[in-house]
Amino acid sequence: MTKVLLKDIRKNFGTVEVIRGVDLEIEDGEFVVFVGPSGCGKSTLLRLISGLEHISDGELHIGGRLVNEVPAARRGVAMVFQSYALYPHLTVRDNMGFGLKVRKVPASERARRVSEAAATLKLEPLLDRFPRQLSGGQRQRVAIGRAIVGNPDVFLFDEPLSNLDAELRVHMRSEIAALHQRLSTTMIYVTHDQIEAMTLADKIVVLRDGRIEQVGSPRDLYDSPRTIFVAQFIGSPKMNILPLADGQPIALGASVPATATSVGIRPEHLSLGQPSNSTLRGKVGLAEYTGAVTLLHVALDGGQTCLVIHNQGPAPETGAEVGLRAEPGHLHFFDKEGRAV
Amino acid sequence: MAGKAFRDNAARAAGAPWLTLKTREMLEAWLFVSPTLIGFLIFFLGPLVAIFYYSTTEWNLLSQQATFVGLRNFHNVLLENPDFWHVVRNSVIFALGLVPLNMALALSLALALSRPFFGVVFFRTVFFAPVVTSAIAWAIVWKFMLQGEGGAVNQMLAWIGINGPNWLREPNWAMAAVIVTRVIKMVGLNMILYIAALQSIPRDYEEAATLEGASRWQVFRMITWPLLAPTTLVIMVLTTIGSFKVFDHIYQMTGGGPENGTLVLAFYIYQQGFKFFNVGYAAALALIMFVIVMALTLVQVMLRRRDME
Ligand SMILES: Nc1ncnc2c1ncn2[C@@H]1O[C@H](COP(=O)(O)OP(=O)(O)OP(=O)(O)O)[C@@H](O)[C@H]1O
Ligand SMILES: [Mg+2]
Repeated sequence: MTKVLLKDIRKNFGTVEVIRGVDLEIEDGEFVVFVGPSGCGKSTLLRLISGLEHISDGELHIGGRLVNEVPAARRGVAMVFQSYALYPHLTVRDNMGFGLKVRKVPASERARRVSEAAATLKLEPLLDRFPRQLSGGQRQRVAIGRAIVGNPDVFLFDEPLSNLDAELRVHMRSEIAALHQRLSTTMIYVTHDQIEAMTLADKIVVLRDGRIEQVGSPRDLYDSPRTIFVAQFIGSPKMNILPLADGQPIALGASVPATATSVGIRPEHLSLGQPSNSTLRGKVGLAEYTGAVTLLHVALDGGQTCLVIHNQGPAPETGAEVGLRAEPGHLHFFDKEGRAV
Repeated sequence: MAGKAFRDNAARAAGAPWLTLKTREMLEAWLFVSPTLIGFLIFFLGPLVAIFYYSTTEWNLLSQQATFVGLRNFHNVLLENPDFWHVVRNSVIFALGLVPLNMALALSLALALSRPFFGVVFFRTVFFAPVVTSAIAWAIVWKFMLQGEGGAVNQMLAWIGINGPNWLREPNWAMAAVIVTRVIKMVGLNMILYIAALQSIPRDYEEAATLEGASRWQVFRMITWPLLAPTTLVIMVLTTIGSFKVFDHIYQMTGGGPENGTLVLAFYIYQQGFKFFNVGYAAALALIMFVIVMALTLVQVMLRRRDME
């Protein structure tokens, strides 16, 4: 049973508060993803949990134990670094066995556990190579293998896939998902790639400026974002936010809450219609054809640009007048503080 | 000046269609290396060739006469002159004392001063400053401080009840004294090299190892020290060579004494050549020293290479 519990965790570097009061409960075996823009404190929060940084204030419990003052090595966590941090002068085998060696595990036991992990990750042919003789994807796998060997209670990943090319990233993503299914160990994963977050997570934690903006399942965050920030951060291409000017009848059929000042519509929930009988009209600016769909940038009469995903038939020409229809039930209303209403 | 000459030349070359691009690039390349190359020829290769020649002559500077004697100088140095082996022994003792002490101290200082903390620049400067002070001035100051009666060192020892020896007048103490004072003078250089090397090791390794349960000592022994190996080799080679070449320090502090107890190779060469004016003999000694240093360097490089495999 390895629950991770954060109670009002704070971290400051000098006078700058970087993590500003985070409360979070992570269930045993859960896959939790921290997302947020660059500099919001994802890595810092992960390092606080690992013990690589000292917690300024608040309480951190791992497996029911208060670990604020427990050294990193004794928190039962393993971390996969963005740089992989494979020791360059050691072979793959020695890299994977390093933690067991410093913990004085007997050589035979060590060999057994290394080969077990190597088998899991299909690393056997690489065991005698040095890190410099491996491709990016192989290094990544070794880094994960090194984490597995220690048999930790909690895995921590800091943007583990960001140094890989797009194709390999998709592949490794599925391997990490498979690994989680097999081990069912608690995993905490940092990324700023929201697709990674959506596909991997049981629970997504959206961070902003050192605070939690919203916590929920991928579907929760997609369907009912609590703020404009989350609404625009989750989902790609990002949600259109249009001001609700008086008398602008965007909200087709839906009743507009009294305090709402803007409405959000995802590009995939807009479709094209005749300009004459649409309430939202504009001119097609840019059309980005991606094969399956075309992403249209429509310049609205009101002045804003609105993204539309078009996937039925040929896309209109650049400069064409179009009308837009929003699917009812997929409108999000926000007040002037940016909170959902 | 070289820059101007280069520009003039380049301009001329650019306006000269009969020069192919390749020729022009060759010309430019030679132009760039020429200052170093000319310096190398005049100030390094020239003397080296000259020394080969001198070493086969008997030439007394005063008589202005050089007679060809073949390999007799080498024969004399290696087989007939017991002083030579005594001097080599001194040089080896000096190196064996200086190199490990210097490197251990340099590494310890670097480990302490490689991470930023309040005042780190001050401490680095303090330890580096002796490197850039004049060797002669440094030796003179220490000579005073190491005087038997009233020297600063012995006064301080007296405070804690130790009766210090007359450092530079007793053969064994004199050797220890020149080694230690030389180490203090030069350790800053190796410290800087080690600091640079330590700072180029990513913090991630240490963090990963710490997370895996390694103690600070284990991190040092299993991660940091192996990753420093290339730097350690360079430092070892340079320091060994430097210790065999030590001259000004000995010249000023002990003059090779007492009882030739600190008479080291480089100083002996100077004595033979410029005090006794046996130029041919000194040249032969210099060549032998060159071979010793070269051999030591090769051995160290080879040892390290075997180590890495
Ligand atoms: N050791 C440190 N000293 C001072 N400030 C720091 C330190 N580490 C991080 N910060 C600051 O804390 C903030 C959060 O940094 P952090 O690395 O956690 O961001 P991040 O969310 O991981 O960003 P990215 O997506 O770019 O990796 C940043 O403003 C950063 O400048
Ligand atoms: Mg980060």
